[in-house]
Amino acid sequence: MELRDCAANSTAFRRLLAAYENREMYLREWKEKGEKVIGVLGADVPEELLAAAGLHAVWIYALPGGNLPLADQYLEYAFDPMVRAEFEKLVDGTYGALLDGIVISNSTDVLIRLYLYLRELKRTEPERALPDVAYIDWLFSRNLLYQQYNEKTLARFREQVEIWAGRSVSDEEIVEASSLCNRRRQALRTLNALRTAVPPRVSGSEMLVAIGSGLFMDVCEHAQLIEQLAQEAASWPELEGVRLYYTGSAQVTTELYQMIERSGYVIVGEDHDWGDRFYERDTNTDLPVLRALVDRYMLREFSSKKSLVAQRVKALDGLVKTAGAEAVLFFTHVYEEPASWDYPSQRESLHSSGIGTIHAAKMHWPLTAQECAELKDKLLAHLQARQEGK
Amino acid sequence: MPEKSKSSVVKKLRATAQASAYQKQWFFDLKQQVELGAEFAYLNADVPMEIFRAMDIPFVVNQWWAAICGAKQMSSKYYELLRRAGYRDDLCSYCATAFAESLDPDDRKTDAQGKPLGPWGGLPQPTLAVTRLTCDCQAKIFELFARQHGATFYAMENTVARKVPLDWFDEIEDDWESFYDTDRLDLAVEELKQMIRFLETKTGKMFDINRLAEVMELVNEQELWYKKTRDLIAQCAPVPVTVVDTINAVMQAQWQRGTRWAADHARGLYEEIKALADSGEAAVPNEKYRLMWLGRGIWHDFAFYQRFEQKYGAVFMWSMYLAMGADAYIRHNVQEDPLRALAARYIGLEDFLHMPPWNSRWYLQQAKQNRIDGVVYMVPENCMQAVEGSYFIKKTLEDAGIPVLIFKADPVDARKWNAQSMTELVEDFIENRIINKAGEQK
Ligand code: SF4
Repeated sequence: MELRDCAANSTAFRRLLAAYENREMYLREWKEKGEKVIGVLGADVPEELLAAAGLHAVWIYALPGGNLPLADQYLEYAFDPMVRAEFEKLVDGTYGALLDGIVISNSTDVLIRLYLYLRELKRTEPERALPDVAYIDWLFSRNLLYQQYNEKTLARFREQVEIWAGRSVSDEEIVEASSLCNRRRQALRTLNALRTAVPPRVSGSEMLVAIGSGLFMDVCEHAQLIEQLAQEAASWPELEGVRLYYTGSAQVTTELYQMIERSGYVIVGEDHDWGDRFYERDTNTDLPVLRALVDRYMLREFSSKKSLVAQRVKALDGLVKTAGAEAVLFFTHVYEEPASWDYPSQRESLHSSGIGTIHAAKMHWPLTAQECAELKDKLLAHLQARQEGK
Repeated sequence: MPEKSKSSVVKKLRATAQASAYQKQWFFDLKQQVELGAEFAYLNADVPMEIFRAMDIPFVVNQWWAAICGAKQMSSKYYELLRRAGYRDDLCSYCATAFAESLDPDDRKTDAQGKPLGPWGGLPQPTLAVTRLTCDCQAKIFELFARQHGATFYAMENTVARKVPLDWFDEIEDDWESFYDTDRLDLAVEELKQMIRFLETKTGKMFDINRLAEVMELVNEQELWYKKTRDLIAQCAPVPVTVVDTINAVMQAQWQRGTRWAADHARGLYEEIKALADSGEAAVPNEKYRLMWLGRGIWHDFAFYQRFEQKYGAVFMWSMYLAMGADAYIRHNVQEDPLRALAARYIGLEDFLHMPPWNSRWYLQQAKQNRIDGVVYMVPENCMQAVEGSYFIKKTLEDAGIPVLIFKADPVDARKWNAQSMTELVEDFIENRIINKAGEQK
């Protein structure tokens, strides 16, 4: 990653970047110390429960490129490229004995299928020695019946966590873990205020590192580093560029953001799971513990995968306004389809408020050279149109 | 071998023609009712339509209507309309057909000769659009469809089965309670009650549990006839009918399930096929190879299924449309709790269709019962719901010695269909995986 001097000179940022770039660093340390680690797939796994049990959580991730023979063998065409690569790593033994279990939340259809396939693989090909796979079957529709069902679902997950931990987990421990997670969320919000400030002092790619590093490191240490970084970044140089909001596919590395920011933009917000969505909404520590967790994960801002078009239109309008964005980039990977149904209505609503939009759908992962060139052209054309007052 | 009897039997199956005629008349009656102000619901196929039947709320099923539009060759026009409205024109073709139709300003108009421009004069204006959240796109499409028509949108949730029974089809009719996680069933019953309250408020009609019990018994009666029909066809060699007969006859009547007409029609279908079987009638007199079709029907090219009969004696004799009625719909012991019995039908649709090993084990059992020589399996390219463990299905069948051809296609989008290359693919499969294998064995 290309660093501004301010970021390069920040101890906190360098440590976050190290965790972001060496994603197995903490994982290996923990395993060497004999601690337990759970792989997380899906953005709706309550980290509070794992932390309360003394289990470390690391997000399952994969980087683009390379052959995926097992994914090609087991998965149909409709699996998006990122999930294909994650599946490959889970099945080919890359994680090996590093994980004591995997938990998958039904945050998208494709993850539901992945869970079903892993479950069936464990049944039919036990020689693959996959870790235990737990599944959280949230109901995201907002009504009382589903809210109460979700509490039962989480109670079952709590039991699974206790099995992994080899001990029971008390309500007090969950409250304590919730407070710690809230502290980290608050620290990230403070830092993000420097990105949404006018003018911004933190870029989109820097924020991506700050958030994403937390998916692979200790919660408490991450919270402290973010708090430290937020203090330092308050005096970082101001950034120039058109304020852009990013909506769409998760970005698990900074490449795309950096390319966009080099093209004359600052990414002031995003709605994907490796970005702002990670620290949105606290867990209410005054409520009974499971109800509090349901409240946080069920009532967060609508994701494009589990919501209606009208909900997504309203959500994006609000997020763009809060971030003070002047334009929105819609960016989705090939086979990541649900947001495509939101897009025309979202665009119409944004245009009616004078917000410009740029659209890139069916993108490969990584982007092909042609897609990259076309996206740069679109970004440039949008800048020019703005300058010409169109 | 001359092809004479194949097409004559196909075209003379009264039950198919009756179902088509009934369906058309029913649809035009429905249009009239809607024009007079009746409530009209547009439902996705996995919505428990028995509730609407019991409440006398007329409805049309999305998948049935998509098939009608596909058969009327409307897809190219519809996808152009989607594209012009800013939507992708290569997504969810099966489920988005009716939404695309709703964008057509000519849908209810006629041409200069007075011929309707929309399929059957277009879908009447629904007042309700109901779906389940069984994939990430479906609810959005229904919501957009509802918005376009000014209808009220309603969605039911979906849960994933934790139980993975292997040979569920043996006992599920009677012992359904034990095959589903209790909390899933409890939730589904509560969801039904919630939807009933919504429908009562919306339509002013009261739900009657006794009427639902009657509807459920009628469904059982109808599906039992399908079971007898499926078993009969499985026993016959050569078979008296092919999927071209059964898909249309069954699918059309399936959407009328819970009515006396549908139960009687299913009995009529059985009796007609039984008579054909008794008189030694063969759909393909030179039947040599029995093929199983996995996936949704190719609505825009039904003749595809018959292209291998004359040349190879290869007959598509199995599709899910008859067999799912036979094995997955019947729920006995209705009287005790009709809502729970219904819950145990509708939550299971996703399980047995799209979840290994529920689906793979069933396909294997069906392949064996029907003495299948080869399986042709269409996997839609961009439908996450139809992502159902094709690897596991293929492996389960092939481990049992039954070859499987997997190919990508779209059930309603004719633009993506190349009849010649698909035919060649299946011919190659028959020649190299079925005939050669059979030859080796012989
Ligand atoms: S993903 Fe499949 S089931 Fe879902 S809306 Fe699209 S075509 Fe329909």
